[in-house]
Amino acid sequence: MHIPDGILPAPIVLTGYAGTGLVTWYSLRRINRQENPQAGVPKASLLTAAFFVASWIHIPVPPTSVHLILNGLLGTLLGYFAFPAILIGLLFQAILFQHGGLSTLGVNALMMGLPAIAAHYIFQLRYRFKITQVNGLAILGFFSGAMGLGLAVLIFFSLLITNLPAGLDVRTEQAAITGLALAHLPVVILEGFFTALLVSFIYRVKPELLPQR
Amino acid sequence: MKLGIDDYAQLESPIHQWLPKYKLIGLTALILAFSFVQKLALLPLMAVTTAMFYQTARLPFKFWRQRLQIPGTFLAVLLLLLPFMAGETVLAEIGPLNIYREGLLAVVQISVRFVCILTLGLVLFGTAPFFESIRAMRSLGLPPILADMTLLTYRYIFEIGDYFQSMRTAMKLRGFESHRLNWQTLKHLAALAGSLIVRSYEKSEQVYKAMLLRGYGQNMTVIYQPKPTRRDSVLLSLTLGLAAGILLAEVF
Repeated sequence: MHIPDGILPAPIVLTGYAGTGLVTWYSLRRINRQENPQAGVPKASLLTAAFFVASWIHIPVPPTSVHLILNGLLGTLLGYFAFPAILIGLLFQAILFQHGGLSTLGVNALMMGLPAIAAHYIFQLRYRFKITQVNGLAILGFFSGAMGLGLAVLIFFSLLITNLPAGLDVRTEQAAITGLALAHLPVVILEGFFTALLVSFIYRVKPELLPQR
Repeated sequence: MKLGIDDYAQLESPIHQWLPKYKLIGLTALILAFSFVQKLALLPLMAVTTAMFYQTARLPFKFWRQRLQIPGTFLAVLLLLLPFMAGETVLAEIGPLNIYREGLLAVVQISVRFVCILTLGLVLFGTAPFFESIRAMRSLGLPPILADMTLLTYRYIFEIGDYFQSMRTAMKLRGFESHRLNWQTLKHLAALAGSLIVRSYEKSEQVYKAMLLRGYGQNMTVIYQPKPTRRDSVLLSLTLGLAAGILLAEVF
């Protein structure tokens, strides 16, 4: 689910880069405020590599299969490191597999990265509601994962359809965006369940991997 | 596991010998200029320029063809739909469907832009070892945290990819088959992804300790910056001139 080169008009491409620059700057600022920002670099890098590889897992949805995006889980585990991690992951996707593109890297990073940061804040609600049990964390994990992908799907189709060079009429556009987003609802729910299962797995096996406040 | 974007980085060509920093500036400017192009008259110029760069880089045709396959599928679907969905001027009718002129022209425009930008990306990253390209980005002001993350991610993607392959093989050997979607399948696949994440996290702790022992974080980074030759500068000026020319032709 990446926007390839050549589809979006240049102003959107440039706005994507400007927005990505801004969010990256803000994320790095938040990271640099941490006690030892460099300590998080190997963790974020290896988890970026792990997420990159984990996205090769295909979930059977007969008659086909879908692969996971996991941007919600990335936000849940990495917090503000998630945005640079997604930017790097997308750069590798574009360079190694030609998924997405170099000119659309900024737009794709915003599309995946902003929902990841939103997912981080959803998971942080565990402190506000004092959630410490695995079931509660799994529920938050579900919403983080589903929201991460759900928002990305919505941004993806809105950008794609509203920026086709030969424009559709407004009604067709709205119908197409709603239809395509709804068609992805089962995948969004699937990603939510998968994230919930992963959060409970990590809580049982390596609880220190879940971010602290 | 090998993904091979820089498999041909050791070839000899003017593009291979171009200073990576200048190559990054020049080709990125050209890619951005290409993404501006809306005028159909400029498309042949884009195609010829791209072909010249690829030819000069002496990268094999097979490499280009292989790299185009996967993204080409997504684009093919979009391009098949567009002439039927977008536009007002009907060119032809196939049963209940109309083929629109605007949609068809959009197909040509998107395809040429897509192929040209993708090809220039291959020239950019296929003609230097990947570490050199990251070093060039670092010398152009990429923040140290991003540069370190990019290098470490690249260093470990292949290793973690190998973990993943062996874990998946082990699951298959134990009789796991993921043909049906049910709770059990989902749980097993989540455990596979979770194990991968936990193993990577544990590895990252070892890596961090090893990095600390080698002086990581002591602000001793020295970026080696080779001096540009006359040829590097001429190539950069030509490429930037071309990018500016395309932009001007698009605007006026």
